[in-house]
Formats: sequence, structure tokens, C-alpha cells
Amino acid sequence: MKFDAAALRPFRTGLVVVLGLFVAGLALRPIEGPAWEEVRAKQPALRLDSLKDALGQGVTVGLLGGFRAIVADFIWIRTNSVWETYDLPKTQTSIKLVTAIDPRPLYFWLNGSRMIAYDMPNWRIDKAGGYDAVPESVKRRFDEEQSSVAIEYLEGGLGFHPEHPLLVLEIGNVHLNRLKDVETASRYYLRASQHPDAPYYAARIYAELLRRQERHAEAYAFLKALYPTLPKDNVMAQAAVVLERIRELEEELSIPEAERFKE
Amino acid sequence: MSVASVPFSFGRLGLIAGNTFLEAVRQKLFLFLVLITLGLVLSVLFLLTFNFGSSELKFIADFGFGALTFFGSALTIATTAQLFFSEIENRTALTLLAKPIWRAEFVFGKFLGVFAVIGVFCALTIGTTIALLMVREGQILAAATDEFEARSLIAYGDLLVVGLLQWLKFGVLTAIVLLIASFSNTNLFTVVTGFFVLVICHLQYLARDQWSNVDNILLSGAVRALSFIFPNFQLFNLADEIGQGSGVSGEVALRVAGYGLVYIAVIGGLAVYSFRNREI
Amino acid sequence: MTQAVSAISIKGLTKDFSVTLRGVKLRAVDSLNLEVAEGQVYGLLGPNGSGKSTTIKIILGLLDATVGDVRVFGVPANKVEARRNVGYLPEAPYFYRYLSGRELVRFYARVCGVPAATLKSRVDEVIAWVGLSGAADRRVGTYSKGMLQRIGLAQALVHDPKLIVLDEPTAGVDPVGSAEMCDLILKLKQQGKTVLITSHLLAQIEDVCDRVAILDRGKLIVEGSVQELVGQRDRQALIVDPLPPAEIEALKGWLAQRGHSLNSVEQPRARLDQLFLSKVSRPGRPGDKSAGVGSNEVPISDKPKA
Repeated sequence: MKFDAAALRPFRTGLVVVLGLFVAGLALRPIEGPAWEEVRAKQPALRLDSLKDALGQGVTVGLLGGFRAIVADFIWIRTNSVWETYDLPKTQTSIKLVTAIDPRPLYFWLNGSRMIAYDMPNWRIDKAGGYDAVPESVKRRFDEEQSSVAIEYLEGGLGFHPEHPLLVLEIGNVHLNRLKDVETASRYYLRASQHPDAPYYAARIYAELLRRQERHAEAYAFLKALYPTLPKDNVMAQAAVVLERIRELEEELSIPEAERFKE
Repeated sequence: MSVASVPFSFGRLGLIAGNTFLEAVRQKLFLFLVLITLGLVLSVLFLLTFNFGSSELKFIADFGFGALTFFGSALTIATTAQLFFSEIENRTALTLLAKPIWRAEFVFGKFLGVFAVIGVFCALTIGTTIALLMVREGQILAAATDEFEARSLIAYGDLLVVGLLQWLKFGVLTAIVLLIASFSNTNLFTVVTGFFVLVICHLQYLARDQWSNVDNILLSGAVRALSFIFPNFQLFNLADEIGQGSGVSGEVALRVAGYGLVYIAVIGGLAVYSFRNREI
Repeated sequence: MTQAVSAISIKGLTKDFSVTLRGVKLRAVDSLNLEVAEGQVYGLLGPNGSGKSTTIKIILGLLDATVGDVRVFGVPANKVEARRNVGYLPEAPYFYRYLSGRELVRFYARVCGVPAATLKSRVDEVIAWVGLSGAADRRVGTYSKGMLQRIGLAQALVHDPKLIVLDEPTAGVDPVGSAEMCDLILKLKQQGKTVLITSHLLAQIEDVCDRVAILDRGKLIVEGSVQELVGQRDRQALIVDPLPPAEIEALKGWLAQRGHSLNSVEQPRARLDQLFLSKVSRPGRPGDKSAGVGSNEVPISDKPKA
């Protein structure tokens, strides 16, 4: 019987080790749990189905194992290389792949959308024969199509960063700069400016866009409400510039002296 | 005849650790991985050609911690297995264990020696990353004085905390590899199994995510048990947050550190238990 | 009056190794009983696979006995305390190659708890004793086999143990190095140390050992003093200068007148190897002889202090 006991010793040791690990895992759960919830919350879920085809099994395991930031970085660098070749489908796919892997950095969303909305219409015009040869209507169509892709892409980003002012502003910029749609752009600027972390310029530009639409009274009311909220010692807030705009609008709107805005 | 007892000695443990450290740093593998890692970290300088602006710092941080995680894991597994089996295969363990020392002193001495080597590796990698970040941050801020967003971009304190937690994770991995080596017969088996366990520890959170979706009670129980048996390495993966510019909560860092330290003690203890039953 | 404790006491030792999970075992040592008295040089002989190394590992606490009781100076061998008074030189020792000989001995001295105050002098002393003072600062990786054996002996002796276990101390060492190792063993004996030695080189064992045990397939075949085992009590040998045939005849006549006979006339020769081979029914392979440079090192110093 002693011999059997000796033969079983490795199994006994293995059992003790597994049990020890199990008990440790169980006992550590109260320490680990809250930390894990916080860490997990900052790691958005991966859409594995689409990534597996694009990256292969090995890289996908790497992503799951904690290498998603660096894999996304590498693919972003590759995106930049592809971008230099003006290969639209490849660049667009690569841009979307980067944010599918790691949607956390705003940088990817902002710069990806700029490539789509600002660079790609030019590539398409070049490919269609150049600026002189392509009719304005076709150029306009390219702009609209690419802008639409970029806006849809940025709205995808808002899914991961709800109401992030930089993303909202970026959508506004596409409307303003590519689609020349001042009215829609102003709505996005207003939306961005209402976010507590919005840059000060969002509100200033919103007022400017109202002025461009000849909505001076609205702009005046908006700036009058804005001015008291601006810190006077913060250079970014540009309170003096806002006051200057208020005075300009008072002139334009012929506001009587007595009714003019008082600091 | 009464013979004075031999108490557990931290002095002997330190001697074995020091000797292990000396042996490790004189290995070519260590030097090779250090050079590769530093090369990878420094390779981010080529990002200058893309002119990423302030986001370049995110890339530098990601590259630094990516290299640290990847090569650090490889170095931990290979060095631990190599240093353990060199003692067994070269019979130096026979000479050492024939002295009045406890096997616990041997195992934890090996652990501390490897842990110190990995510590040097982490310090070199993180130090290089921080140096690069500081230089580039200074250059970027200097060039962007007009920009509205010009401000300090990287929380260096958080970077150090995350680096320390990575080191602690490698400590847990060292203890795991020692546990495998304590019953394994070959270096190769230890290295391969060590890598498998590393992958499982990094992916066990997926099983935890899924167990509530598994209908089969047995399967669900098995998945749940597995998630208790293997440490959750994904918990240590806080480096991404640094790259995003968001900080690391002090409470989370303390919890993760406590988690790592307890696991080192428990798995190290189990390695001692297993090694005591090993016939040399 | 307390009874003297044996340096090594082995009672009913059996060691099995599990070969398969289904319980197939290899019996390496079978019901072994041995007593090694303090101060003896004891030879443990046997062919490869006879259980010598397993027995030594159990004495050193590196393996556990399956059955039986093994004690070192009265302390169970599996206790750490038992190794306090033991120095061990493994077969074909390999040491940390990146350390110098002095660093190596110093490392083991510190592991064994040699006090810091005497550490340096003790390390120097033991290195001088094994004759390696001139090479003490060279890396161990550059040592010849003979030098490795001697630095191995130095680390085994550095904490001044009462029992020294030498596993094949002359294996792979050239004849000069082997002879030097034998000299060192005899010096240890003079100092009152107990030495347990295994070797294939039976002539050397015969020269240095007080007692020997021969193991075969894990069992004890023969045990006793060298004199008891190879001497013939009903015979005597007179070693004389070579005699011409006529004088041998005259000697025969002289013996016959006194009722004695001259049984044989032959050259004196070693006899232990014959006994060994007859008992184990298969020849033990002699240790490979390889050229070493150990013998050309600094001469062995005088006996160290006890």
C-alpha cells in the first residue's frame, strides 16, 4: 500500500496546488472585484467577428490579451502609409479598423474623419481627371459622399464617447467646411458648447455662425448670456473678444444706449 | 545527539537571490531582450516622420508599455525556467540543497533573483519611455505655444504606478513559472506551459464575462472554477489609460498591488510545497 | 555513559521510484542496513545502477526514503538540521561558471553560515588546503576537471563539517589528480573527519577506506573492513626481494623441516577488484581517464587547523 501512496504523491501535490489556487482566487475576489469593474469599464468590447477576418486569429488573441492599444497604433501608422498612396478603399477600411480595435483615443476618430472628409474628395477628383476636367456638380457629389461617410464615422465615435464636444464639433466642421451648411453646422456648435468640457471657442463660433445666417438677435442674446459665464483671467475664454462682438451686434441691431449690455 | 535547529534565514534567501540575479544578468538572453526592447521603444522616433503632433506621446507610451508587456513576459518565463533548470541540470541544486538550507529559501531566493532581474528590465524600459516622452513633450509644447490645448500631456506619476504594477504582474508570472518548474522535468515543458498559462491568465476575464450566458450548469461551473484558479492578468492592464491621458485611480492601483502581492505569496508557497515533494 | 552515535545510520532503507502511473516501480535500494562510525573512511561500492547515488541522496535529504530510517549523527536525514554537519561533493560537479573559485567557496560558506568574522580566513584556508590558491581568482568556467573536483572539495569543507560525502571524487580526473584526491581524503581522516566515498576505482578505495560496502541492484552484498574482506586469515604473505629458483627450493626445504609448506610464489597485487567482480557478476567500468591540468597547480598545503 505504501507504494501506491508514493505513486499517488504527484496527484496529491497537484490537487493541493489547484485547491490552493482556487481558494486564493475565491478569497481575493473582494479585493479584485471593484478594481476589475473599474478597469473593465474603461475597456470597450471588441467586435471580434469583423476583426478576426481583418487581422487573423493570432493578432485577435493579442488584442484580447491586452495589446489592443499598440496593435491599433501599428495599424494607424500603416493607415498613414496607405494614405500616402491615395488608395481610398484601403485607407478608409484601415481607418475604420483602427477604431474597431481601439475606439478609446479621440485622435483616431478626429484624424480618420478628416482624411475621409477632407482628403478623399480630392483623391476622387484627381482620379476622375483633375480639378479642371471634373465638373463642379461631380466635385460637389464627391464632397457630399465623403462628408456623409465621415459624419457617419464620427457618429460611431459618439457611441463610445457620448456627447464628446470635440467629436460634435468635428461633425459641425464637416457640415460647415465641406457641405457649406452653416445652419446645420451651427446646431452642432451649439450642441458642443453645451458640454461642460467644451472648449470656449465652440460658443464663440456658434454665435458667429448665427451672424452669418443673419440671426443677429439670436447671436446677441446668446453672447449676452455667455459673457457673464466666462472667466476674465483665462486667455482661452477670450472674454474681451466676446464683449467686442456684443458691441458690434449692438451697433448692427441699433440697440439703444440705455438697453445695451452692461459688464 | 541534539542538534541546533536551522531556522528559515532571509540572509540565505538573499544570497541565493543575489546569485540568481548575477547569473541572469550575465546571460545573453537578458542582454538580447533588453536591447530589442530598448530598440523598439526608441523606434518610435520614426513617428516623427508622420507629424502626429501631441498624439505622438500616446504612441510613445503605447510602444513603451507594449514592449514592456510583451518582452517582459517572454523574459520572465524564459529566465525563470532557465535559471531554475540550470540549477537542476547542472547539479548545482544538488550541492546547494545538500547544505543546511530550506527548500523555501531556495524557491523564494530564485523568485527574488528573477524578480530583481525583471525589475531592472522594467526600470530600463520605463525609464527610456519616460525620457523619450519628456523630450518629445517639451519639444511639442515649445512648438505649440499658440495652441489652445497646450498643456502638460502625460501624468508621469501614473506612468510609474502602471510600470510598478506591470513589474508586480511579472512577479506573479515568475511565481507561476516556478510552480510549474517545481514539478516539471524539462525546461521546454516549463516554458511552453508558462506561455499557455500566461495566455489563459490574460484571457480568463472572457470566461468570466461568459459564464452567466452558459446554460449548462456543469460547463458554467467549470468556467467559473477556471476563473478562480487562474489570476486575472488583464487587471494589471492599466497602461492604455495613460495613453488616453486619463489617470489611474489610487484605490484601483492599491487593490491591484494587493492582488499581485497576495498571489505572489500564495503561488510561491505552493511552489515551495510542490518543490519539497520533488526528488532531486 | 551515552552510546556513541554513528555518523550515518541506515536501518531497513528501501527506495522505490514510480516508473508508471499504474504503480510499476523501480526498486533502487532494497532493505539496506549500514552503520558508519565517526572518524571512518567508508567506501560505498557497486556498479552503475546499484543504488549508491540514491543512498547518498537520501543521506543528504535530497530524496525521501520509501521505507526505513536514515540518520546523520542521530538526526533524521530529511531534516535540514541533519545537513549542518555534512559536506557534499557531487559526482562531476558543475558550479556557477561565472563565479571565481574564491567567490564560489565564499558563497557556499555564507550559505552554510560561516561567521562573517572568520569568513575570509576560512575561505582562504580551505582554498589553500585543496591547493588552488594560485587559481582562486579565476572563473570556475576555466577550471580543469581536477581543479573542479578540488574546488568542489573546498566548498564541501568550508563550514568544517564532521561528515564529508564524496560521490565519485576521482571520476574523469587524471591519475595524478586522483592520487592527490586520495591524499586529501587521508588528510581528512587524520583530522578525525568521517568520509563516505563512492568510486569505481577500487584500488583507490582499498588504499583509503577503513570499511567498504558493496551494493548490487539495491541490495547490500558485502560489508566489512578492507582487511577482513580481502585478507586471508589462514595464510600469510612474506614480501621479499626476488629470489633465484635455487634459493626458493632451499626455502621450501627449510619450511618442510618445520612442518610448513610454501603454497605459492607470485607477485603481490591488488585483490579488491577480484572480490568486487566475483560478487556482482559484472565488471564495474573504470572511470574515464582524461587529461587534466589540476596536478600542475599550487602544491597541496599543510594540514589546516581542526
